[in-house]
Amino acid sequence: MAVAEIVGGLKLGQTVPDFEPLETYEPTKGDFGKFSLKDQLANKRWTILFFYPADFTFV
Amino acid sequence: MGADIVTVSTDTKFVHLAWQQNEKELAQVKYPMAADPTGKVSRLFGVYDEATGLALRGTFIINPKGELINAEVNFYNLGRNIDELMRKFKANLYMTRKQNEVCPSKWRDEGDKTLVDPGAKMVGKVHEALTG
Repeated sequence: MAVAEIVGGLKLGQTVPDFEPLETYEPTKGDFGKFSLKDQLANKRWTILFFYPADFTFV
Repeated sequence: MGADIVTVSTDTKFVHLAWQQNEKELAQVKYPMAADPTGKVSRLFGVYDEATGLALRGTFIINPKGELINAEVNFYNLGRNIDELMRKFKANLYMTRKQNEVCPSKWRDEGDKTLVDPGAKMVGKVHEALTG
């Protein structure tokens, strides 16, 4: 399923469509990087995505 | 089996850097902080608020096959409980190994009571199964 076809969010049990890797800041390296879901799956890793409204606020 | 936590907001990676380096609460942060300034990924998970351009407090667990197996969304004003997130994650790991078991609400960690093969026999007898 293409990202554009999903309206109102994914449902449980659905396969998450691959999305363009996100740019990241990586505190352990003090450097920028990328997060790719495809790489996570290739490495057989579980992923927890933790969304929040804005930096400089509480979590 | 390992897991990676990635935080996501609609701020840019530059703001993530500035926040992490200035906020003492974040001094020990080990996870990557991802930037979704277009809101594309936030929309995919249904947490993007078109009115504000911000993402709601959504937590999503994706298994190694790429399937979304857990979702929790809190509104702006309610923080999340990390113990509950870890409970859900551990339960999902456990149930991936033990596919005929389910984790009831009081399950916290490996060794706690699960329900095995919940089927017709258990109808009306959940209390006995939980306490037996």
